[in-house]
Amino acid sequence: MSTETAQPSRFRSLADNERALGALMLAPAVILILALVGLPLVLSIAFSLSDVTVGDTSLDYVGLENFRNVTRTPQFRRAVIDSILFTTAALLIIIVLANILAVVFTQDFRGKWLARILVILPWATPISLGTLGWLWLLDSKFSPIDWVLVQIGLLGPDTLLGPGLHLNYLGREYLAMGSVVLVHVWRLVPLSAVILLAGLTSIDQELIDQAQVDGASGLRTYLQIKLPLITPILAIASLFAFILIFTDLVVVFVLTRGGPIYYTQVLSMWSYNKGIEGGALAEGAAIALFFAPVLFVAAILILRSVRRIEVT
Amino acid sequence: MTSFVETQALRKHFAGVKAVDGVDLSIQEGELLVILGPSGCGKTTLMRMIAGLEIPTEGEILIAGEQVTKLPPRARHIAMVFQSYALYPHMTVYRNIAFPLKAQGGLAKGEIDEKVRHAAGVLGIEPLLDRKPRQLSGGERQRVALARAMVKEPSVLLLDEPLSNLDAKLRASARDELQRFQHRLGITTIFVTHDQVEAMGLGDRIAVMYAGKVRQVGTPDEIYSKSADTFVATFLGSPGMNLIEGPEYTVGFRPEHLHPRDSARFEDDASSYVITVDRVENLGADTLVYGSVDEGTNVVAKIPSTSTFFASAGDKREFVVNTEYLRYFDKETGRTTTPGAP
Repeated sequence: MSTETAQPSRFRSLADNERALGALMLAPAVILILALVGLPLVLSIAFSLSDVTVGDTSLDYVGLENFRNVTRTPQFRRAVIDSILFTTAALLIIIVLANILAVVFTQDFRGKWLARILVILPWATPISLGTLGWLWLLDSKFSPIDWVLVQIGLLGPDTLLGPGLHLNYLGREYLAMGSVVLVHVWRLVPLSAVILLAGLTSIDQELIDQAQVDGASGLRTYLQIKLPLITPILAIASLFAFILIFTDLVVVFVLTRGGPIYYTQVLSMWSYNKGIEGGALAEGAAIALFFAPVLFVAAILILRSVRRIEVT
Repeated sequence: MTSFVETQALRKHFAGVKAVDGVDLSIQEGELLVILGPSGCGKTTLMRMIAGLEIPTEGEILIAGEQVTKLPPRARHIAMVFQSYALYPHMTVYRNIAFPLKAQGGLAKGEIDEKVRHAAGVLGIEPLLDRKPRQLSGGERQRVALARAMVKEPSVLLLDEPLSNLDAKLRASARDELQRFQHRLGITTIFVTHDQVEAMGLGDRIAVMYAGKVRQVGTPDEIYSKSADTFVATFLGSPGMNLIEGPEYTVGFRPEHLHPRDSARFEDDASSYVITVDRVENLGADTLVYGSVDEGTNVVAKIPSTSTFFASAGDKREFVVNTEYLRYFDKETGRTTTPGAP
């Protein structure tokens, strides 16, 4: 007994040393990030400045040649526009729907838990599987959506949506673009709604009571009290959704592969098509690097909103 | 005098708990009524029902003769100040005060501005109008909350422990200020508190609540010297009334009426008690003598420190109470009663 207290074990002294303990506990995360984020980033920068291809893996420095090449193509313009357009459109719809859902879920109603589960399901489903489901829903021949439209008299001869029995969602430029946006909305509304719900329920009830006593209607209370109070949280939810949509490959990959032609070929899809399918590793890397500055800004904005939450 | 705010057999049950259990209150126009009770007695729930933030399980609420029981808060023409002051943290003081006016609608920008500046002027917070709530002290926040409450000229002002977030020194001056403010505006006010000093100092009348029921309504003097039951008697005063079980009644007397025999001017028919002293506590102005009667019932005597009384633990001393200060309570119900009455 006495020797034990007189000579603390080595483990015990380590547990008391905050610097060593801190470093030790951070180490796995740091190693993981360096290996899975740092290394690929360095590699893609190296690739983008070289002439590497799948056939010739030697790295010869070519300066900014790859960047010049890819920006000159019509695909570049389209990919940038698509990436921005899809992200913006989906984000706007997500913010509106997530707000509505979050408000609905702050109310008490019958079957609320069931509704909550149903809403969270798209988020819990693997993106690829969910998108596969949509692939069938939007199929050119077997789409049940088409069938419903025909049954209710919106699609078919002499109807609003035209004489054909199929809309061919993924085969027409604007419908395909809309479909990509739709799937993004479907999979990200739950996450945003849950984040906003957490924000809404954290608002001091006395403030809401006060607004009621002050004579505010439900809408005014929401727009002038609740929404401003959850702005930092809304910002985080939006930035998360932004990053997830902007960098996403899966939805386009499963749904359209960038088609028809290259009308839905977002940056990530184009980078994949060029670098992996086409074997032009250097140009693929150059395309992927267009994400870096955007994500850098987004990361800074997220950290700033987190600080604002801590301050208020 | 007509009653301006009235509750009739008001009840609120939360999942079987009777938070408010049949309250009949009537508040006169321009009066300041304090609802006093320990925490959990239902006083805040009662106020929230008057405000319209809770729907009563049963009973009616009338404001200015009008049924408002099922109306939402904004249709009741009331204002309320919460314990936390509930200032909107993202708005400036100006926008906080203007909020009820904008919510009410129908006012031009110039009119709103005029009213906000007037309210701020009355409470002396004009220099703070551009600040955010987090830049204000506790006392300043309270004034802003009051300005926001009065700006739309409500017919009833509800105050939920608005002084409890202030430090002791500020509380006394804020109480004084609040009372003068209320008298000047003549606005019907309901003030909820658990602090009897606040209640005694502030109220025109006090309603003492316990376990969801109003035990007594009266002026501060009435509820202190003519307490309706043993709860009110022991809740008020610090320390509360001494209660001794007699053969027929529970006999009560206040600590300041229990005097040492040798130092007291007493009448011949005074009641006399031999007290075994337990502990003597010097509070500065007063000395509290804790002891027991008949080896059982604990009693306290409050003796002005100017008296020459001295005792230490274990001493047996004779104390007396003038008969006029003795109160009698029914042993079963605890209600006040008069000896000899049927």
